[in-house]
Amino acid sequence: MDKLSENEAFELGNQFRDAAIALGDWRFKNRAGLSKVQWDELDEREITLLNTASSIYTSAVSFVLAESKVPVARLQSNVESAKSAIQHIASFKQVLDLASALVLLAGAISSGNVASIPAGIVALEDAAEAIIRPDGPV
Amino acid sequence: MVRALGITGLFRLALTVTFLMTVVSGCANFKEIKAFASLSSSAATHDALTRDYIGALERRKQYQPQKFHSELEAQKMRREAQRAGLDVLQQTVADYMQGLGGLAAGEIRTYDKSLDDLSERLNKVTLLSDDEKDAVGALSTLLARTVTAAYREHEISKLIRDANKPLQDVIKATRKIVVKGMAADLQVEFALVGRYYDNFILAPNNPQEPVAMALANEARVEALRRVDDRLRAAQRYDVILEKIAQGHQYLFDHRDSLGDEELERQFKPYVDALRAAYRDLLDVSR
Repeated sequence: MDKLSENEAFELGNQFRDAAIALGDWRFKNRAGLSKVQWDELDEREITLLNTASSIYTSAVSFVLAESKVPVARLQSNVESAKSAIQHIASFKQVLDLASALVLLAGAISSGNVASIPAGIVALEDAAEAIIRPDGPV
Repeated sequence: MVRALGITGLFRLALTVTFLMTVVSGCANFKEIKAFASLSSSAATHDALTRDYIGALERRKQYQPQKFHSELEAQKMRREAQRAGLDVLQQTVADYMQGLGGLAAGEIRTYDKSLDDLSERLNKVTLLSDDEKDAVGALSTLLARTVTAAYREHEISKLIRDANKPLQDVIKATRKIVVKGMAADLQVEFALVGRYYDNFILAPNNPQEPVAMALANEARVEALRRVDDRLRAAQRYDVILEKIAQGHQYLFDHRDSLGDEELERQFKPYVDALRAAYRDLLDVSR
């Protein structure tokens, strides 16, 4: 017999649970015709079925947990990427490069050297590009 | 030298500031992504559900004869062993959302501080006038913020692209456990509690003492209400997970437009739906 899948296990748990509930309904409906011993015996069967249903759910949860290990590991790796990106933002080097480019531009502006302003803008754009696309060619 | 530049120098500077503001305009807006991530991170962490799932076996002892207690104890141990795995599912989603939220929030103030230092350097190197210094300072802050925003946009897009599949898988697994495992198991508890009180009230040969029956009925209603509250909490947590999955899928589908005002507007209903679902969970969990 093939191993039970998690969905089959959950469904099996439901069947045990519903059977116990149906048994209880029958017991209460027919209580007038049942002796105390019969009543107690049926009651214990219901409890056993309900506990079995719970036990099957517990097993099915274990199946799902085992199946989810791979996506969990992948998502955890993405969490690390996010943290690393935040670290990246927190580091000053690239912003200081940008600041230097700004100083260059400011120098060009204050000296009145119109010809050097475009070069200052290009330097700024390069600094910005390095921050936006850190993996790109330097 | 600067004074010699006078109006012309200042005019050029203003022109450059205007030009650069135009170049870097369309500054990305991540307000809704930040709100979504923050809400998701809080809402995904609902450890009461795991506590209830494990604690269920202890609770059920009072509704079952002694002879079943060792079986319940054994099952409790099995569930205890699952605790770490269940916590990891919730915590991984919460951690991821914190990471996404951190990126969306950025660290603007840090840059502003570093740019304060720049003002002094500018003062020494370029001998700018006060007005020009203010303008360059403003420009520096503007650019640093914009570049940071563009960097964040790039990183957020990359993160959402890479994380969507595992996130959807993790949420799917968690939802399966919550609905098919935990909620279904609470229905078992509902049946167990109901039969316990019904036995007391309806068992053959039970003396029908009116006060005792009234008290038993009252206790039955109260005990079933507690189970029902737990069941509703599980169902509402499932709705939260569904909203997180839908919201993230939307961001994934539109990852090339992240930071756009239009996308922010279109994404807002997803954030509102998640907020409402979280409020519903808090209502029933109190």
